[in-house]
Amino acid sequence: MPERRKGNTHPYIPELREQLRRGGIDRRDFLRTATLLGMSTAAAYAIAGLRPGKGVIRSAHAETPKKGGNLRVSMNVKEMTDPATYDWSEKGNLGRHMTEPLVRINKDNIAEPYLAEKWEASEDLKTWTFHLRKGVKWSNGDDFGADDVVFNFERWLDPATGSSNQGRFSSMTETVDTGKKDKDGKPVMSTVGSAGAVEKVDDHTVRFHLNRPDLSLPESMGDYPALIAHRRFSEEGGDLSKNPVGTGPFMLKDFAVGETAVYTRRPEPWWGGDVYLDQITYIDHGDDPSAQLAAFASDQIDANYRTNIEQVDVMKSIPNLVNYETVTAQCGVARMHVTAEPFDNKTLRKAIQACIDADRILEIVYFGRGAPGEDHHVAPIHPEYAKLPRLKQDYDLAKKLLAEAGYPDGIKIKIDCVANPTWEQNACKALAEMLKPAGIDLAINIMPGGTYWDRWTTTPFGFTSWTHRPLGVQVLNLAYRTGVAWNETNYANPEFDKLLDEAGTLVNVDQRRQVMAKLEKILQDDAIMHQSSWRSIFITAHQRVKGIYGQVAEEHHYNKVWLA
Amino acid sequence: MAIFILRRIGNMALIMVLVSVAVFLLLELTPGSVATKVLGPYSSEEQRQIWLEAHGYLEPLWVRYFNWLSSFVQGEFGDSIRFKVPVAEVLWPRLWNTVVLGFWTFAIIIPVSLVLGVLAGMREGSLLDRSISVTSIITTSVPEFASAVFFSALFVFGLKWLPGTSTMNEGFDPLQLMLPVLVLVVYDFGYVTRMTRASMAEVMTTQYIRTAMLKGLPYRRVILKHALRNALIAPFTIVMLQINWLLSGVIVVEFAFAYKGFGALLLEAALNQDIYVIEACAMVAVFVAAATQTIADIGYTYLNPRIRFS
Repeated sequence: MPERRKGNTHPYIPELREQLRRGGIDRRDFLRTATLLGMSTAAAYAIAGLRPGKGVIRSAHAETPKKGGNLRVSMNVKEMTDPATYDWSEKGNLGRHMTEPLVRINKDNIAEPYLAEKWEASEDLKTWTFHLRKGVKWSNGDDFGADDVVFNFERWLDPATGSSNQGRFSSMTETVDTGKKDKDGKPVMSTVGSAGAVEKVDDHTVRFHLNRPDLSLPESMGDYPALIAHRRFSEEGGDLSKNPVGTGPFMLKDFAVGETAVYTRRPEPWWGGDVYLDQITYIDHGDDPSAQLAAFASDQIDANYRTNIEQVDVMKSIPNLVNYETVTAQCGVARMHVTAEPFDNKTLRKAIQACIDADRILEIVYFGRGAPGEDHHVAPIHPEYAKLPRLKQDYDLAKKLLAEAGYPDGIKIKIDCVANPTWEQNACKALAEMLKPAGIDLAINIMPGGTYWDRWTTTPFGFTSWTHRPLGVQVLNLAYRTGVAWNETNYANPEFDKLLDEAGTLVNVDQRRQVMAKLEKILQDDAIMHQSSWRSIFITAHQRVKGIYGQVAEEHHYNKVWLA
Repeated sequence: MAIFILRRIGNMALIMVLVSVAVFLLLELTPGSVATKVLGPYSSEEQRQIWLEAHGYLEPLWVRYFNWLSSFVQGEFGDSIRFKVPVAEVLWPRLWNTVVLGFWTFAIIIPVSLVLGVLAGMREGSLLDRSISVTSIITTSVPEFASAVFFSALFVFGLKWLPGTSTMNEGFDPLQLMLPVLVLVVYDFGYVTRMTRASMAEVMTTQYIRTAMLKGLPYRRVILKHALRNALIAPFTIVMLQINWLLSGVIVVEFAFAYKGFGALLLEAALNQDIYVIEACAMVAVFVAAATQTIADIGYTYLNPRIRFS
């Protein structure tokens, strides 16, 4: 049991305040770290001299919200059966208006309390206590409480559920022997929730006992598959679209996959205060971006889920439309499987790296909207990002390395990538052009998304898009730690893992940044990926839509949106 | 006649069984991908194995085929991986939407192209014939995706007369049907017109028409009573074939205007490897192809008594 502290404030918070005062960290870093450690959002914003949603990111002028109206949004209407197995943010948006997370990543990219009113972390970051909001009612009349949270976590950590949350909360799992043998006679291992990891303290308090320190725990609770379902979700059919019970301000009125989803406002008051819209209607226009454009032109929709980079300027040509840009840590990586030929040859990988001009690729592929990639997957907007000297295009070096790698006459290689969105295949085409002068002939194997996602962790060379994650350590833990499920490069480096462990225990942003510089350098030197760019994302809305914004993970927060 | 029809239906059933085996083999040989589709790309190998075992995917292939076939003939097409509902719940409404689209398309194409084809064929080489022929060739040569963009630019972005998409999410709206129907009609009417014209022109050169003319029968009567019936045999077959074309040809139009029909369903299913939906769609398409051909064969015998079905 961790030692209780005065006012339940994490001991690092005073130092954090001091760092902010001295200018050692900026306000965004202070907000993010202080709220992660359990400081209330209001207090953190007050210390930073800001108001929620008003400071870090520019906001619209204050206007008096108007009640009523139907917000029509163009988005793929995917199935939304089980929030635990959601694998696309569109599914998260469909579930989010009814079911809600414990923590929400807000407009400023800060983890704020949602169904959890507040939380505290022990000094060693291994014990986290979450206090749940009281007075929250499920749409079936039940009270929301600790039983709901315990039910969800136990279900997420069960391998039979098939939830990606098992990896997200891997600090609460352990690997056990199932007693079965595989065809080679080796024991079949299974990853399960650690015994006692989730503890119900009382009806509105849940404590999590972690195997290792994890500062990102609250942010993981804000990810889209971590929407909290009712405690009887499984026994009542396990299908949110057929039994739409939630704590959110809207209820499902009509739903047809691939066509439409309609939500109406719940008649009873919502715990979060006023909700302005009467109805939200999602309309599926398929995968043709021009259909969305035509729908805007004929005023059939008010907003969209995403505006493709190629259409940002076109949208401006339609009167009354507003584009919203959000800087994110989303990116695409042309990553090499380091145990597959010929990419097991580090010198070859370095030769490929030497051919690339990241600024040029950003300009060609994404019209300069974003930041150039640096081949280490830690973004400038990550709080622990450490700036390294820029990599430069050098064909003499590339040719020299290619000869050293055993390919003096050049080499033919192939990259797999998805057909849509088009910027991904464009990035591969730009890459192919840049490799050509060095004698590397890159063939591009364009395939439907479904086909690519079947092989994304095994293909020798593939272009994978990664979504935004608030912390650099989260990304590196998910994608480059030895043996983890999403390690698509099959990268295994004990030194890297050790440094990553160390970074995960450091609350001090400066110290974490110093360790991160070493981690970034290791990844860059091993040249296991080329990163196309850090891309901004865009949404478009009619100017009558007020209070809308592009969230970093493309979540729809419509509880306070209204129509003028 | 009864034996002829029964034989045709027997052939149809045989074709469908053969196609079902081919489709099943093509799609079911990748069980790993099914689990990935259901559990998502980020699921672990362990999670996928548990799912495959629980859903019978580790059974031998032939067992799975016969299980699927016996369910299929009872109207149970399996559950859609993407939609997470029985395939029939998605398939029939989508097919109905395409039937509606097809009905209005043919309701315009058939009279327009038959009239234009007959008018052109009646006086081969005339100014009217040449005008109709050139127009038909031009419209048929322009692919649907191009005319969809052109008509959208004109009627949606330019004149602002018509809605740009046809999702019908607030119920049936005839205005939303106009652009998809227009694109299909423009693409297809020229083909049927040309076929009708060729058939009519051929009939007009036959001895019996010349005899009728020389007998002094009124021109109108020669055309309506003697030429038309024979001239319509070829267009009848063409129109029946166009029903098959429509089932797959609507993919582009339904995609461009976000119309929720059979073509769009097939495309979505293919892109998402929604195996049971692809199988059901393929079987429906084969059934429609076989059924329209059977109907065409039977109809042929009525239009042309010279054809015998011994």
